[in-house]
Amino acid sequence: MRRPDPAAVRWMILATLLILWEVVPLTGVLPELFLPSLSKTLTVLYIDRQIYFEALLVTLYEVALSMLIACGLGILIGAVVGGFAMLRDLLLPVFSSLYAVPIVILYPVFTAWFGIGSSSKIAFAGIYGFFPVMLSTAAGIRTIDPQFLLAARSMGATLPQQIIRVIIPASLPTVFAGLRLGGALTIIGVVVSEMLTSSAGIGYLVTLNRTILDSPRVFAAILAILVLSIAYYMLARALESRMVVWQSAGRRQQSSSRGEPVAIPTPAAA
Amino acid sequence: MQHLANVSELRAQAGEAAIEVERLSHTYAGANGSVPALVDISLTVRKGRFVVIVGPSGCGKTSLLMMLAGLRHQTDGTILCHGQPISKPDPERVGVIFQEASLFPWLTTLDNIEFPLSLRGTAREERRRRSQAMLSLVGLEGFGERYPHELSGGMKQRVSIARGLVQDPPVLLMDEPFAALDEQTRMTMGHELLRIWSTTRKTVLFITHSLTEAVYLADEVLVMSARPGRIIDHIEVPLPRPRTYEMMATDVFGRLRDRIWQQIRKTA
Repeated sequence: MRRPDPAAVRWMILATLLILWEVVPLTGVLPELFLPSLSKTLTVLYIDRQIYFEALLVTLYEVALSMLIACGLGILIGAVVGGFAMLRDLLLPVFSSLYAVPIVILYPVFTAWFGIGSSSKIAFAGIYGFFPVMLSTAAGIRTIDPQFLLAARSMGATLPQQIIRVIIPASLPTVFAGLRLGGALTIIGVVVSEMLTSSAGIGYLVTLNRTILDSPRVFAAILAILVLSIAYYMLARALESRMVVWQSAGRRQQSSSRGEPVAIPTPAAA
Repeated sequence: MQHLANVSELRAQAGEAAIEVERLSHTYAGANGSVPALVDISLTVRKGRFVVIVGPSGCGKTSLLMMLAGLRHQTDGTILCHGQPISKPDPERVGVIFQEASLFPWLTTLDNIEFPLSLRGTAREERRRRSQAMLSLVGLEGFGERYPHELSGGMKQRVSIARGLVQDPPVLLMDEPFAALDEQTRMTMGHELLRIWSTTRKTVLFITHSLTEAVYLADEVLVMSARPGRIIDHIEVPLPRPRTYEMMATDVFGRLRDRIWQQIRKTA
């Protein structure tokens, strides 16, 4: 039997879920309060499109700024910590253990400092996403094969050349993995903080409609968040595979056990 | 005066020196005081010769090569390359070829070969022209746009050699370049290296721990002892060139290999 195409399987799973979402509530197995049907959710989303669109804009704005903070600070501090052995030994254990703390417990403090507007969400989500970016940048720099630097030096590379031509490209795959995770965490951070204390944003719509038991509107907000995070994930992957051609190419080759073999001509004497 | 005249006469007879190492010693600062790694190494590699240093693992032969490449500093002694002391890497005088792992995986074959040229800001067309020439020298035409992970171990090593040759340095240092290859590829690559060497006529200093490789490739073999490393034998290989695989079965070949092995075993 032929192995099914993974992309086709993904779409089939998605389609099945959407169909179940529509059909199960219609059968009456679940009350509408627990799960309103897909069509009902979409209808509500359409009727309130203005409200949802504005909420989404607020959320997007907060996500964008907190991603900027998380990625900018994460790469900067990660590079410094990863690049200097002394700082690394001193600070990396501290940052690693901080990463394990559920930072959401600090959110009340953030609202006290920054108010319940966007700034507290941006600050909180920025710090939430900062840790994986910072840690993977440090790891990416620390784990560079010393052979690369030795080879570059033997070819006469100056220190700035070593940084730009070797250290940065060599650590890019690890940094990107951190950016992808950190970006996802900022979305979570923004939505969670909007759900906790706020007056705007998609997370706020979830909380607001939940308190008045308006299930279709809760699910409409959930749907919007799902679409947002999936769009983010696909964007991040696309960007990553463009920037790290050699890595994704390696992955593709490893997984190409099926289909036609990669045609590589062999030189006469090898 | 008489003595000096004799020495320079001898020098002229023997050909000019490309690398001269005099009374080189190296000591590492370890946790329990200093550890001697290399002791009183003196050697001369004449221009155009293929010299192989062979020794057991950890004898300091790689350290020695790092010092010759200007990548590490010795505690004592002098190193001259074409009469000039070596204090930092100088890719126009000395090219270094490492194991295959040193190719940059984010660059294509051609970009890897051009890397040393691009560091010095050579114009793009000039870079392409020279890297293409190197690519055909090592027999990899048509592989210029491939990434290292798409190449076999032997092909990667060809790219490394091309990268080492692209700046046309008169001296090539090779640090166990074929150690990661399987036996058959290793033999093929040794043969290829000799072919490339015979067309470029570089001075080569080649490090290995393979006795067969040493005898097959070398004009001269320097045998190093186990740590602390010192040079314990200097063997001229009288086999004619071009070398052929059949020579490995000859008595001369076997005796030379055996002599190296006995020397190394004594110190181990």
